Amino acid sequence: MAVEMHRRDFLKTGLFGGALLATGSSLALLSGCSSNDGPAEGYLHLRQQDVELLLPLTGVVLAQALEKSGASAETALKAYDKVLNGAMPGTRATMFQLFDLMQLGAARWYITGSWASFADQDQATLTQTLQAWFTLDRTLSRMAWKGLVQPLMFAWFAQPEAGLTTGYPGPPQRVIS
Amino acid sequence: MQDLSTLKIQSKDPWKDPKANGWDVIDGRQELSDRTLEADVVIVGSGAGGGVSAEILSQKGLKVILVEAARLKSSDEFNLNEAEAYHDLYQEGGMRATKDGTMSIMQGRAVGGTTVVNWTSSFRTPVQTLDFWRDQFGVEGMDEAAMAPWFAQMEKRLKVMKWVAHNSNNQIMQDACQSLGWQSDVIPRNVSGCWNLGYCGMGCPTNAKQSMLVTTIPAAMDAGATLLHSAQADTLIIEGDKVTGVRIKTLDNNKIATGATLTLKAATVIVSGGSIQSPALLLRSQVPDPHERVGKRTFTHPTSFAFGIFDKEIAPYYGAPQSIYCDEFSHQDGIAGKAGYKMEMMALHPGMVGAFVAGFGQQAWDEISQLPNMGGAIAMIRDGFHEQSQGGAVELRDNGEPVIDYPINEYVLEGTRRAHLSMVEMFFAAGAKKVRPSHSQADYYTSWKDAQARLSKLAYVPVATGIGCAHVMGGLAMGSDESQCVVNSDGSYKHLDGLYVMDGSVFPTSVGANPQLSIYGVSARNATLLADKLKA
Repeated sequence: MAVEMHRRDFLKTGLFGGALLATGSSLALLSGCSSNDGPAEGYLHLRQQDVELLLPLTGVVLAQALEKSGASAETALKAYDKVLNGAMPGTRATMFQLFDLMQLGAARWYITGSWASFADQDQATLTQTLQAWFTLDRTLSRMAWKGLVQPLMFAWFAQPEAGLTTGYPGPPQRVIS
Repeated sequence: MQDLSTLKIQSKDPWKDPKANGWDVIDGRQELSDRTLEADVVIVGSGAGGGVSAEILSQKGLKVILVEAARLKSSDEFNLNEAEAYHDLYQEGGMRATKDGTMSIMQGRAVGGTTVVNWTSSFRTPVQTLDFWRDQFGVEGMDEAAMAPWFAQMEKRLKVMKWVAHNSNNQIMQDACQSLGWQSDVIPRNVSGCWNLGYCGMGCPTNAKQSMLVTTIPAAMDAGATLLHSAQADTLIIEGDKVTGVRIKTLDNNKIATGATLTLKAATVIVSGGSIQSPALLLRSQVPDPHERVGKRTFTHPTSFAFGIFDKEIAPYYGAPQSIYCDEFSHQDGIAGKAGYKMEMMALHPGMVGAFVAGFGQQAWDEISQLPNMGGAIAMIRDGFHEQSQGGAVELRDNGEPVIDYPINEYVLEGTRRAHLSMVEMFFAAGAKKVRPSHSQADYYTSWKDAQARLSKLAYVPVATGIGCAHVMGGLAMGSDESQCVVNSDGSYKHLDGLYVMDGSVFPTSVGANPQLSIYGVSARNATLLADKLKA
C-alpha cells in the first residue's frame, strides 16, 4: 500500500514534495534509518527510530508543561502514540513516511528548515527550528506540523492529571447506578 | 471559583440492558463468521440522518436494520475523560484532518453519530441557503415555507428551545455584541433537563442532550428495528441498475476487521454515513456517476479561533458550550460574495485548548495556564457559495479509506483574517485584557488598536493559521441539475434504483449554521416520503 500511496501523492504534493515522498522513504530505508521492526517497547505504534527522532522535539514543544507536571518527554510521546492509535491505518502510514523522511538531512531541511539532526540541537536551537518550520508554506511541512505538534499538544493536556495543571478543576464525578 | 469536580452526577442509561427492553442489538465484535440478514430497509450510519430515518421508517411498519461502524457506547461509559472521549467518539480518534493536514476535522463516530458529541446548537437552515439551493442547483420542495413544518416537527421531537442560563463565555459575546451594535441572539438547543455542565462534546453524561442515541434510535428499536454496531459498510451490492443490499465488515475493539462479512439484503438501502463516509461508500462501490460528482464539493465551514484573557474567572469548560451567536458578518457581502462567517463561542477543556492554541513551548504554556480566565470564540465560514469556494473532494486511499482533499485557498484565508479581526474586536469590547487569534505567529494584543496594527502584518498561510472544522457537508449534492447533482430532492440516487442518501452529504453547499437541524428536517421530510412510497 505504501508504494502506491507515494505514486498517488506524487502529482498532488508538487514536484519536489512528491519526489521526496516517493524516493525519500526508500532512501531512508537504504541508509538504515527506516526499518519496520514494529512498535518500540512500551508503544502501540511508534517505532524505535520515531521515538529517537521525536523525543527531543516533544521536550521542547511541551517544555514548561512537562516541568509543571514533573513528567518526562517520553510520557508525553506515549500519550501521542495513544492518539495515533485512534487514526486510520492509512493516516498512520502517512505519518510514518514523514518521520522516515525527517531522518534524512535534505528532507529534514525541506520539511522543517533545519539540516541538523534534532538530537544534536540544543533547546534554544530546537525552538528556532520549530518557529521556522511553521512559517514554511509547503505541503509536507504542513502535514508534519499538523500531524505531530497539534495532536501532541492535545494528547498531553487531554490527560486528566495534565489537564489539572492548567487551573481546570476537573469534571464532575460520574456515579453509575 | 467555579468547581464542579466534587459534583456527583447520575443518570439512567437506556442502553444498560437492551435485551430487557426487547431491543435487537447485534454486536459486530462477536460476529466471527459470514451470514446473511434481510430487511425492508438497510440504513448505513446512525447519526442525524440515519437516526431520524430509522425512527420514521420503523414506526411505519418497515423492518429496518441500522448499521453503525462505531461500537455501542452510552452514558454509563461517558466518563468525561477528554482523552478517552475523543479516542472513542470521534472519527480517527480526533486525528482526522484534510489531506494536507491543514484543517482538523472534528466528526463524530458513535451510535448516534456526531449528535452524541455536538454542542447542541439547533438552527433551521437559513432562508438564503434554501433559496440558493433552489436557484443554483434546482432543489425542489424545500423553500422556507415547505420546510417549516419539518423543522417544527423535529424541534418538537428533540425538545429544541432557546437556552436561558448562559455561561460567562457566552456572556462575553452577548455583552460585546450589545456594546458594538452587532446582531446577536440566543441559540436554541436540543436538550431536556440539561444540568448545564459543559461536557456535550464528550458524550452527555446525564442524557439531557436529545441525541439520536437517546431519542430516535431507542424509538426505532421499540418499533422493531435491529441495530448492528461495530460493523462497517464495505460496498453496496449492485445488480443491474438496482442496489439490493450492503456488504458489511465487522470490526473489533481496535476498529480492525474481524474477518467476517455480513450480507444485508434489502430492496431499499439508505446511506447516512455523513459527508466523507457516504461518498466513500459510493466510491468504493463504483456506482454509476456519469459526471464524476460523487465526493465533490464537500464543505466544512472552515473555522478559525480566538482566545481572550480576562482579569476575572470565565471557566470556559463549564456550562452550555454555545448559547449566543452573532450573524453580523454572515451575509455582509451577500450570499455569494466574499466569505461570510457566523460567530459562536467554544467550550474550552485542556486538550481542546492545547490543540487549537496554535503554538508550542513557552507561549502556548503561558496561554493554556490561564485557562480559568480564558474565553474562546469561533468563526465558521460559509463555504460553497462563492465561485472560488468549491470545497474539498473525497478520495479513496488504496486500502479504501476515505481522505478529503480540501485546499485552503485565498478565499478562506482572506475570510479567516477578517474573522480574526471580528473575534478580537469582540473580546476587547467585552473587557478582555489580552487577546490572541489562533495563528502560530500571533502574539497577545493588549488593545484593539494594537491588534489592528499587528494583525494586518501577519502572514496568512495555511500552516500558521489555526483552522479546524466540526461540520462536514456535501459530497453527494441533491438537486435537478445533473451536471452538479447525484441525488434527487427526495434523496433518491439519480443513477441507481433502491438507493437513497439521507444525511448532510446531500447539501449542495454548506448550511451557514450548525447543521444538525438542517439534517434532521431534510431527512424527516425525505424518510416520510420514502415510507409513504414503500407502504403505498
